[in-house]
Formats: sequence, structure tokens, C-alpha cells
Amino acid sequence: MPTTTSSSSSAAASSSSSGNRQADVFSRLASSDPEVKLKALREVKNQIIGNRTKKLSFLKLGAVPAIASALSDADDSDKCNNILVQSAAALGSFACGFEAGVQAVLDAGVFPHLLRLLTNPDEKVVDAGARSLRMIFQSNLAPKYDFLQEKNMEFLFSLLNSENENVSGLGASIIAHACGTSVEQRLLCDAGVLEKLVILLDGSLSQREACLESLATVLKNNPDAVSHFVGLEGGRYLSSVTELTKDRYTRTRLLSCLCLVVIYNTSPSYFLNMGTKSSLITTLLELLNDPGQSGDDAALGLSSLIAEKEDLQKLADEANAIKNIVDILKTGSELQPKRLQGLFLSLAELCSKLEDCRCSFLSLQVLDLLINALRHSDANVRTAACICFKNAARSIKNLSAGHFTNDNVMLPLVQLLHDPASSVQVAVLGALSNIVLDFSAPKSTFIEYGGIKQLIELSKSMDPNARCSALRALRNLMFLADNKRKEIFFSDVKAQGFACLISDPEPPVQEQALALLRNLVDGCISSIEFVFDEDCLILNTVGRQLRKAPQAQMAIQGMYVLTNVASGNELHKEAVMQQLFPQGEAESENFMLKFLQSHESQLRSATVWTIINLISPSSPGALDRHVKLRNAAIISQLKNMVNDACLDVKIRIRTVLGQSMSFGDS
Amino acid sequence: MPVRVEESNAPAQVSGTDPGNRSPLPPSSLLGAGQAFSGTQNVSNQQKEEAWRVNVQIQGIDLEHGYLCGTMEALNVPMADTPVITFWEGEIVDGKNYTFYTGKWEATREDDMRHWSKFPSFSPLQGQVESDGGRQLDLNNYPYIFMRWKEQYFVNVGTDCGLTIAGFYYVCFSCSDGSISGFYYDPNSSPFQKLELKTVNEGRSGFSFSSYELQ
Repeated sequence: MPTTTSSSSSAAASSSSSGNRQADVFSRLASSDPEVKLKALREVKNQIIGNRTKKLSFLKLGAVPAIASALSDADDSDKCNNILVQSAAALGSFACGFEAGVQAVLDAGVFPHLLRLLTNPDEKVVDAGARSLRMIFQSNLAPKYDFLQEKNMEFLFSLLNSENENVSGLGASIIAHACGTSVEQRLLCDAGVLEKLVILLDGSLSQREACLESLATVLKNNPDAVSHFVGLEGGRYLSSVTELTKDRYTRTRLLSCLCLVVIYNTSPSYFLNMGTKSSLITTLLELLNDPGQSGDDAALGLSSLIAEKEDLQKLADEANAIKNIVDILKTGSELQPKRLQGLFLSLAELCSKLEDCRCSFLSLQVLDLLINALRHSDANVRTAACICFKNAARSIKNLSAGHFTNDNVMLPLVQLLHDPASSVQVAVLGALSNIVLDFSAPKSTFIEYGGIKQLIELSKSMDPNARCSALRALRNLMFLADNKRKEIFFSDVKAQGFACLISDPEPPVQEQALALLRNLVDGCISSIEFVFDEDCLILNTVGRQLRKAPQAQMAIQGMYVLTNVASGNELHKEAVMQQLFPQGEAESENFMLKFLQSHESQLRSATVWTIINLISPSSPGALDRHVKLRNAAIISQLKNMVNDACLDVKIRIRTVLGQSMSFGDS
Repeated sequence: MPVRVEESNAPAQVSGTDPGNRSPLPPSSLLGAGQAFSGTQNVSNQQKEEAWRVNVQIQGIDLEHGYLCGTMEALNVPMADTPVITFWEGEIVDGKNYTFYTGKWEATREDDMRHWSKFPSFSPLQGQVESDGGRQLDLNNYPYIFMRWKEQYFVNVGTDCGLTIAGFYYVCFSCSDGSISGFYYDPNSSPFQKLELKTVNEGRSGFSFSSYELQ
């Protein structure tokens, strides 16, 4: 192993003398005298180890190509071995945790030369080459390694089989870096990589850590591989990984936790023991306090572990996760974006399902923290903060108490609708969708900030997801809205615009547009008039869409639009009849018959409600409408459904048949 | 509600409405979010006959967790200048999340049975409930839904308004016509204050339905 033999540079050295020394080093690096060159290499290496500023300074001066030349010019003879070792070590140091350094090393074309070192007969050279390559493979910038090529797979296994811990560790690092697809996972497993990797679990610290990382990569979302891994030697290695979560080294604890998170997320059945789950959560929570990279990674690991899992969220809550995370966020120290992202995502997950968690989260006076995060320069942090807002705002109790309705919250959220990052835009639409559902306030803040206009703009986006999310937010905004708010919206979107939304090529967008319309025509009876604007343009569009045999979810919303319109006066009811029985169209089976036979109970229910409203006994034209429905075989269809599997549908059908009898139908 | 009592009960562990997914069909479409009800609560005591007009609106329902919530507006409250609105959370007796036995809010099993048995629709279930709390009953297909509604906070007035929300309601909802009956229970208030509500339609000749979807 190369050792630091020359003294490191003094921090107090003047910049001019330092500049002179650097220039001198460059000339010596190019020297034809191997001893001079070797000394220069050592000097550079020792100066840059662990010193990011020095790395950058040498990088700018072109040190990497100079060292690369030293490496490539040296042959494999014994006398050059020291140069090989020192140049490889220096290059590895440039690449260690420093992306610009990795890029420079790769640009200098040293990759094949470093690989060549692995076959050098001198163990020290092999070791230096392997260490340097591991540094490179820890970066995303490292070249993709094609496992599909047989010779590459053979080479990988030759690395894993090596007695040299850095070489076998390199093999594991290559897997962790380059295995990204299920095909690659399968190929590696078929070739027996798991059996090789588990051996490293018993190896040195660096082997163990590389092994844990690569195990997580191979096992991720791969139930077959997890099953195979768990079955190896009767579960011994799963126990080993679990045991390593108590290791004295922080990084080892973190990596073993992340490996268990992957195994749990892939095959939860291997984690039936609540104690294991609980201790995994506790360890991750402890790791959050690590100030370094492990703490950053632990935050994302925790959010991944508890995502969508109510039982684990309960355990995390019992372990006081919310308070722990909020305390870290409140320390005031500058946290890495990755850690902030992980912490906010973890909070978001904790608030995703459990009302108690939402309440305890909001009771910790966290809104200011969240608002600051909305303005963070890193898009991932802004996105995570929006998701956190969104999930906290799933609490009807807190929405109803008006906890989200103030300028400090609303303004930054509305501003983020313009965010250049699409992930932020999608996330903020989700947050606003929930927050506008504020039952307590007139929602004027959102409207004052131009929120409606912006949502209408986004409902015309090229991205169908953005259109869908914007319409969902508008739908929620119009839930139980007063006429004034409805007017503001409608005067902007206009009948033509609304008809376009309902005719969107994407069914989920149509569904949201119809759900929005359903809310628009609910409430005060005068709201129904919106659908008659521009010569019934909107109502005609709804009828046309329903006659096109739409998907069930869209049909449900469409039928509720008709239900709500049919709950109005005679004119409204007749207008609905026009859509159900359009004049001049060829006689075909009425679409309501299909809806009544749908497997979706909600669609059957919505259809029956339309009929109930059309033949409401208090309305003068009910009898005529009943005759039309009977002639279209709809009443007889309902008679066949008196024992519908859905209680609600069954009850409504009996209501219709009761009304039907009052019209003389038997 | 005439007695001021310190509220000390922690809210039950409940979840909000089911997010992300399409909201499941409520047990009755008349018990969906946005549905409104109107009626009275009889607050008579030995001194005088009195009934307050009451409006209720459902704001959220989550069948998976047996949860629903909404607001209750009392209109002609003598002590208040304005209508008093409270936010309440409800437990749906589904045999899975909640049984007929309250187990909190100072309600004994005897209190429970005394109140539930005031609903005529409860009598076919009484025997089973007395034997096992009703856990074996298939309440999904019963045309009445039994609930407990617990007011959590005042929405538009301070806690110093002279009213108390210490008690809770035993509630029975009829799936057929959407009518709601209830009895307010608070050991410190007049017993069996009856709540009677009917679904309202805002001057429409029929039924109308809104919906929202949480993300």
C-alpha cells in the first residue's frame, strides 16, 4: 500500500510559493529521470489527499493528463512499478468523492491503463490499480460495464475470485455501479454472482461495504434473486446482513440497512418479525444523526422503507420519527440537499396515511421549515417539500381548521406552478389539489394569486399528467364552491374551452374534466346553466362522450353530470333526456343499458340516480320521461336488478321501481 | 350542550380520507362527501322545551378505516350571536375498525346499549351485539349504518363561547332515504338529546352529488 512519505504542504504557505511549487512539480512530472518523476507523483498525491481545494487547483493546472502520461508511459518492468503505484494512487485520489476529478481522469484516457495494472505481477501495483478503479466506479460518471458481453462477465468473476481484497471489492463496486436492469440482474444471478458476493460479507471492511452495495443492486425489485439469496445456507447471509446493522462502523450499518430495505421492498414476506422491522427503523433513525454521507443516505433509505406501508409508518411514529426528523431540520445547520430531500420525503410518507402523524407533524410548528424548502435551490428538495405539503394536507381535520390557508403557504406554492423542473410542477399540483380543498375559507388567497388562471393554463399543457393534475385541482377547488368562484372559473375557461377539456384524447383527463363539471353544476340550482352556454355546447359534448362507450371511470363522472343536471327544473331534465335519446340518431341500444350492466357499482349507481331524478314524482314531465325510459327497456332492465349485489344500487333501484309503480307500471 | 365540561379525551387513532386512490363507493351514496343534512337537536331539559336547528355536512369518508368527518352547524343557539359550527370526526361501526362498544369518552357498555337500543333498526342486532359486540355481524349489507360522531373543535367561535363539545353522538343513518337519527351523550348534559336530520337538496327537484379526490 502506498504510504505518505513526503511532508504535506502547509496551509500557511503563501499562494505565490504554492504556485511556484506546483509549476515546479509539473516540470518534474514530465522528467525523464524516474526518481524525479516518482518524487513529483508522491508530492502531488500527498497534497491532494482529502483536500478538495488542492484537487481543484491541480485539476485546473492540468495535473491529471500529466499524471496519466506518467502512468501510460511506464512499462510493466519492476523499475517502473513505483511510478505505476504512485500515478494510480494519485489518479484514484483525484477521483475520490470528486466528480470533476472523475471526469478529468476519464477524459485523460487512463481507464484501460488502470485495468492493465490488475494483471501486473506485482501485488502492490494490482492493489493501487484496483483502488483507483474503485474510486472511479463509485461515481455515476464511470463508464457503463456491459455484463452481456461474455468476456466482461468472465473478467468480473476473475475480479470477484481474487484473493486481493481491493480487486474483489472492485468487482463488487462494478456491479453496484453498472447493474441497472432486470436483464442484467438475472444474468449476474444466473452466473452465480450471489454466491460470490456473500463470501465477501465475511471479508474486510471495504469488501463488506462493497458487497452490501452490490447485493442491494442485484436484489432490488428482483424477488427471484431475493428468494435465492435468503435461501443460501439456510438464511445465514440474511442473518449476516441483519447482524451488520449493529456493526460499529457507521457506513456498514447504513449499507446493511439499505440492503434490508431493498429486500423488504422486494419481498416483504421475509420480514414477518415486527422486532426486525422495528430495529431497522430505529437504526435508520439513529443514522439520520450522522453528519456525513451516511446520514444523507439514511434519510432516503427511511423514506423508501416506509413508503406506502402503514404498519411501518406506525412503527416509525412509535419510534418518535417525526420529532427526530423535525429536530434535525430545526438545528439550523446547513444540510445537504440529498439529506433534506430524504428527510422531507420521510415526513411525507409518515403523513401519507396516518391522521395522528399529520396532526403531530403540524403541531411541531413546521410550516416555516416547509415554506423555506419550497424556495430551496435544489429541485429535489422543492419536490420533496411539495410532497410533504400534499400528504399533510390529506387531513380533512386540518384542512377544515384552515391550517394551510395563509399567504405564506399559498404564495410560494402558486409560484412553483411556474417551476422549470417538471417534477416540482407535478408535486406542487398535487399539494395544491389538496390544499384548495379548504372547507373553512373562501379560498380567496389562491384565487387572488391567479391560481385559477394558472391551473386553466396547465390544463392545456402538452403533458397529459399535468393536464390531469391541473383539472383535479380545479375539481377540488370547485367542490362545494359558491357561485362567485364558479363564475370566475367559467368566465376564464368558457364553454368552448370546457368542451375541449371533456374531449381530451386521454381518458383520465376526460374523467377529471367531467368530475370538475359535476362539481360546477352541483350546489345552487342556477349553476346548472353553465352547461347550456353557447347553445348547449358542454352538455352536447358530455352526451357525445357518453355515447362513445367510454371507460367506466369516465362514464361514472359523465353520468353524475347528467344526474346533477337532471336534479334541476323541467327544462334541465328534458335537456338530459335529449342526450339520452338524441333525435335523428340511428336507433341503437341505449348506452344507459350498458352502464346498468357494468361491473362497476359506482357506474350502476350513478345511472340509477339519473333515472331517479328524471322521474322524480314532483316534476310535471316525469310520466312522459318514464314512458320513454320504459320503451327503451331501461325500466325492465332495472327490474332484473332488484337484487343487485351492491346494497346502495339495490336500494336506489327499488326507489325507481316504486316511482314506476306510481305511474301505473306493474 | 348546556354544561361546560373540560374536554380531556384524546382523539382516536384514525386516518383521513383515502388518498391517491379513487374514492370507494360510500356505503350509501347519500353519505358521501359533500352531502348535506338539516334538522333539529332536541336540547330540552326539565326546565324548558327547546330544539336547535342543526345543519350537517359530510366532508370526508374513509371506509377502510371506518372513518368519516364533517361539520355541524347549530343555528338558533341562545348563547351565541352567530350559528356555531363544529368539526366532528366519526367512527363507523363496521365490526372491523369499530364495534358497538365505545370503550372511551366515558361511555360504559351499558351506556352504549341504552343508546343503541333507542334506534328501532338496532333491535334485530341487539342479541348478537350483547354476545360479542357485533363482531360477527355482516353490517355491509344492512340498510342502516351506525356511527359515533365526536365533535373535535369549534370552527367559527372560541372555546369560551359557553358551549361544550365534551360529549358525542350515537348515530343511525338510513341508507334508503338518507335520514339521520342520533342521541347526544355526555354524562354532564341532559340525557338522550335527540338529533333528527334529513338530506337537503338546495331547492332542486332531485339529488345532486359533488366529489373530490385527494392526492
